[in-house]
Amino acid sequence: MKQFITEVIGEEFVEEMDITPESSFTKDLEMDSIEIVSFSEKIKAHFGDQIDFTGWLSAMDLDQLIHLNLEMIINYIYECQSSK
Amino acid sequence: MPVIKVNQRDVHIQELNKGAAETVLLIHGMFSNLSVYYFNIAPVLAADFHVVMYDLKSHGMSERVQEGYDLHSMTDDLYALMEVLNLDKVHLAGYSFGGLIALKMAVRFPERLKKLVLIEVPDPNDAETRGIIEEYSREFLEHYVANFTDTTKVKMGKRQMDRNHRMYEYLFEQTSIKSDMVQESGFFDAPEIHRMEKDTLLLYGSASNCLEAGKQLNKKISRSDLIPLNGDHNIPVQEPIMIAELISGFFKN
Repeated sequence: MKQFITEVIGEEFVEEMDITPESSFTKDLEMDSIEIVSFSEKIKAHFGDQIDFTGWLSAMDLDQLIHLNLEMIINYIYECQSSK
Repeated sequence: MPVIKVNQRDVHIQELNKGAAETVLLIHGMFSNLSVYYFNIAPVLAADFHVVMYDLKSHGMSERVQEGYDLHSMTDDLYALMEVLNLDKVHLAGYSFGGLIALKMAVRFPERLKKLVLIEVPDPNDAETRGIIEEYSREFLEHYVANFTDTTKVKMGKRQMDRNHRMYEYLFEQTSIKSDMVQESGFFDAPEIHRMEKDTLLLYGSASNCLEAGKQLNKKISRSDLIPLNGDHNIPVQEPIMIAELISGFFKN
């Protein structure tokens, strides 16, 4: 996951950050929407049709997207994988 | 990240539901990118349509380009994109500056369009719109973020502020966008808009500075309906599901 984040926002920023499961995308990682699109493309490319990441994101309203953190994504991926 | 070549330039696109019979093409606004549709609006439309979103030149993940921000060039770009994607005829929706591009497309290439949705399209002759373009500075951006982005709820940190500032500075200082926009100030008076016969849905925020422009367009376009929604210029962020459902219903009927 950290690799994807590095690819999206750049190594120089990731080095300065303490990335934890609680890191939120907009506040802590300071990703804007187009960077989250890019991140979501990487998740899709990596996990393929196993998970509908875009569909999952699209069910969220703006407040939920703003509070989206790494742990929520990790849990969602686990849920998808365990239901297969 | 799907990036395709259009006229030898990199264009970032996103597509949903590729197998659908009809296509909806979505155009974002100036200083924005396709993410304005990606999370909430596009997935609703994708229940019934093939949805195509793209980043305009120098926006989002598309290649930076120094010239060609007038509506003629922007519609040339869109026409070329449709050719590359083999899209013969599409429903078209545009937000803000993207709506100006959509309207110009309907005027220039009516045979390539089915229906048209224009969201919060400003009058290019509006003094406030031109003022922002003329007066841009880092201080302007910081003031704007501090005072006017509350309706989008997004707080900008330092990295994002720097990123946005670099984009604005590039567009304003190194491209022809300012002079190209000035050229377009008389666009609403073009007789072709009166002659345009596409079914058109106009969506505006009832508290938006652009609502007057919507009323003007509603008078000029013969087959149009204007629907004011709760919100301001940021209605795609404030009311994405309502906007998606209105667009979908309009294109389906």
